Amino acid sequence: MQRKTLSMLVAAAFAGASLTAVAGPVTDDMILNDAKSTGDVLSFGMGTQGQRYSTLSKINTGNVSKLVPAWAFQFGGEKQRGQESQPVIHDGKIFVTASYSRMYAVDAKTGRELWQYDHRLPEGIMPCCDVVNRGAALYDNLVIFGTLDAQLVALDQNTGKVVWKEKLDEFSAGYSYTAAPLVVKGLVITGVSGGEFGIVGRLDARDAKTGKIVWTRPVVEGHMGYLNGKENGITGETNASWPGDTWKTGGSSTWLGATYDAKTNLVYVGTGNPAPWNSHTRPGDNLYSCSTVAINPDTGKIVWHYQNTPNDGWDYDGVNEFVTFDMKGADGKAVRAGGKADRNGFFYVNDAETGKLLNAFPFVDKVTWASKIDLASGRPVYNDDNRPGNPGADKQGKTVFSAPSFLGGKNQQQIAYSPDTGLFYVPANEWGMDIWNEPISYKKGAAFLGAGFNIKPLNEDYIGALRAFDPKSGKKVWEVKNNAPLWGGAMTTKGGLVFYGTPEGHLKALDAKSGKELWAFQTGSGVVAPPVTWEQDGEQYIAVVSGWGGAVPLWGGDVAKRVNFLNQGGALWVFKLAK
Amino acid sequence: MKPHLIALKHGLPVTLACVFAASAAAQTPVDPLGDRGRWADMQRQFYQGGEITFDPRVRVEVPPTAEDAMNVPVAVDARALAGEAIERIVVVADYNPILKVLEFEPTGVAPYLAFRIKVQQSTPVRAGVKLRDGRWLVGSAIVNSQGGGCTAPSTGRGVAGWERTLNTVSARQFSSAAGDRLRFSVLHPMDTGLANGIPAFFIDELNIRDAEGRTVARIWPAEPVSENPVFTLELAGVQRVTQIDGRDNNGNKLLGSLR
Repeated sequence: MQRKTLSMLVAAAFAGASLTAVAGPVTDDMILNDAKSTGDVLSFGMGTQGQRYSTLSKINTGNVSKLVPAWAFQFGGEKQRGQESQPVIHDGKIFVTASYSRMYAVDAKTGRELWQYDHRLPEGIMPCCDVVNRGAALYDNLVIFGTLDAQLVALDQNTGKVVWKEKLDEFSAGYSYTAAPLVVKGLVITGVSGGEFGIVGRLDARDAKTGKIVWTRPVVEGHMGYLNGKENGITGETNASWPGDTWKTGGSSTWLGATYDAKTNLVYVGTGNPAPWNSHTRPGDNLYSCSTVAINPDTGKIVWHYQNTPNDGWDYDGVNEFVTFDMKGADGKAVRAGGKADRNGFFYVNDAETGKLLNAFPFVDKVTWASKIDLASGRPVYNDDNRPGNPGADKQGKTVFSAPSFLGGKNQQQIAYSPDTGLFYVPANEWGMDIWNEPISYKKGAAFLGAGFNIKPLNEDYIGALRAFDPKSGKKVWEVKNNAPLWGGAMTTKGGLVFYGTPEGHLKALDAKSGKELWAFQTGSGVVAPPVTWEQDGEQYIAVVSGWGGAVPLWGGDVAKRVNFLNQGGALWVFKLAK
Repeated sequence: MKPHLIALKHGLPVTLACVFAASAAAQTPVDPLGDRGRWADMQRQFYQGGEITFDPRVRVEVPPTAEDAMNVPVAVDARALAGEAIERIVVVADYNPILKVLEFEPTGVAPYLAFRIKVQQSTPVRAGVKLRDGRWLVGSAIVNSQGGGCTAPSTGRGVAGWERTLNTVSARQFSSAAGDRLRFSVLHPMDTGLANGIPAFFIDELNIRDAEGRTVARIWPAEPVSENPVFTLELAGVQRVTQIDGRDNNGNKLLGSLR
């Protein structure tokens, strides 16, 4: 009798599992299905394409006003700094990272801590822009995350014990790691941080189960790639777009991670600013800085690239995520395209297969450095007098006022795309900067900028604005302004909602069609992280990490007035509908 | 993680031992240290599964008073148990905030291990020798201390660049008429996680291997083992240790070779 009941329960559990979440080891198929499976969040971006769209609609425009906290979990410690982490959720456990390279496993139903891993950091770490971490990746029985001292650590999901650990690079040379890793075809794919220190950006792929390196692909011209320990061709052509030895310290860090589309079998990585900031030291396009680079994960070779800001002179650090989607062309046929809201203020739509530019339009009101992006050539039409002047033998070159500021029309805060509305939701910021160049020479482990700057708001009443754009027409459908700069990612759902957080501490839900605010909750500290949603026991849940910090309070200049009263924190909030 | 698979090879005897243990465990042996320790708690947490005896052949040598609470020398010597089949040795300290000190598996060396520990206050230090038949033979000693060893940061934290020397192994084998002795040290902060803002960071696995690549001893240190730990082992007869490897709880590997 008892045995029969048990077997029935097991059968029922399996039937439920196929609809929502699958327990047990995380597989490649589960990761590829992540955007559709509602019972888990297995990847950064809620699917490797990074759309941050959920098919769940139990929470919707009609009932979101009844959303209440289910529980909250405090990170604690003396280490409350910027919390930019997206949680991942599997098998009833939430895995969330925190500032200073910490990771927590929490029971998804109750908020009870299951285990905690605190990585021991050396004193000399050099993160440029706060001691953040953006999240973990799941594979097999492992939860994998990177640390500020440029290590990749794989922990057992059940115990929190280290299974393997590999060094990404030397932290003393300026390398660090803050992004969430991407898992594709059993490979854990990581970039590097440290573009302000003259490091060389690259993508590495390791066997996710063992940490063993499989391939590495530098994204600066002239550097050799490797596959299975053998040379795998130089990236680009040495000295084609970098003079002299400048490519050797060319920056282009890949600090925001990558996305993957199974349809094109390409990994898309945004690359950062060329080093140093002073563009007069490196005449040329400086490939592949400030670009989207598409890499075949099977070969570790670059298939295409599109450069958003050739010869960048403003720190338009184009690491921003490339989010693939289907866009209907004039002939009614859908093209697999990718959207990217770049630091430089333009929103780009490229063919995901070939990289061909399909559309480009500004998503911020003021762009000074280029008048437009020429769709035929794919290149910006520069305003030459808006490039900071060459200091030559002087201490300082001519100062210019440029917009966006180097913190970008959009920075690390992730965009979302809804196939229901066909709109991209972009957490944008309106600000400019005085910027000037200074002479600079490279010293290992030292800041490699050669520029000075002062950020200024452009409007009295707001810096941030969550905006909805039609990627085909470039039309801004709606916007919601925010006093402080937005620094947390967006999420959208089939329930017709867009969720996002503000530095002022609110998690908000908007109507995805109109932008009308339907719900807000004060989390107690600034939200600079993207929300996620999943389903368990028949109920839809929303989770977001709260904890003010990131680059704004460190580099904010005149913006500081709008944020310096914000208090730090560190908590994971989980919400569901009141019964 | 820890391979205590020996029980499988001796299915029946172990089962019998367990039955015996169940009745034996009900009668907690009287702690020779009396009420200066908390033996009942230690037994419940660490010395389960077989008959327990306090046995003078298991010697725990500590100084009567700790001169330095961060570095209290301890020697566990069970060589008098010659002829008994030893599975592993579990060392604990009753009044430390983290109770377990280490585990030691002397597969192919003498059952002797000397090391240094941190103590938070005066405490018994105990070594339980688990035999393959399931029995525990326990030795204890008390160390008196002014305290504070576990909640202080490691001194290495104040030294810039500790990470450059992390897990450096120094080792030497000494010969004597009585047999060879191996002494090795590893540079490591061995942070307990109890000092404010400093995460637990300690070596949690050490393997000692001979010229044929056989593992002759394994040690699983825990947080209370002192910073930059030094271990001394007595080798069994003619034996050549060639490699010491392991890792810490952050997954940093260590590797030392002896020529």
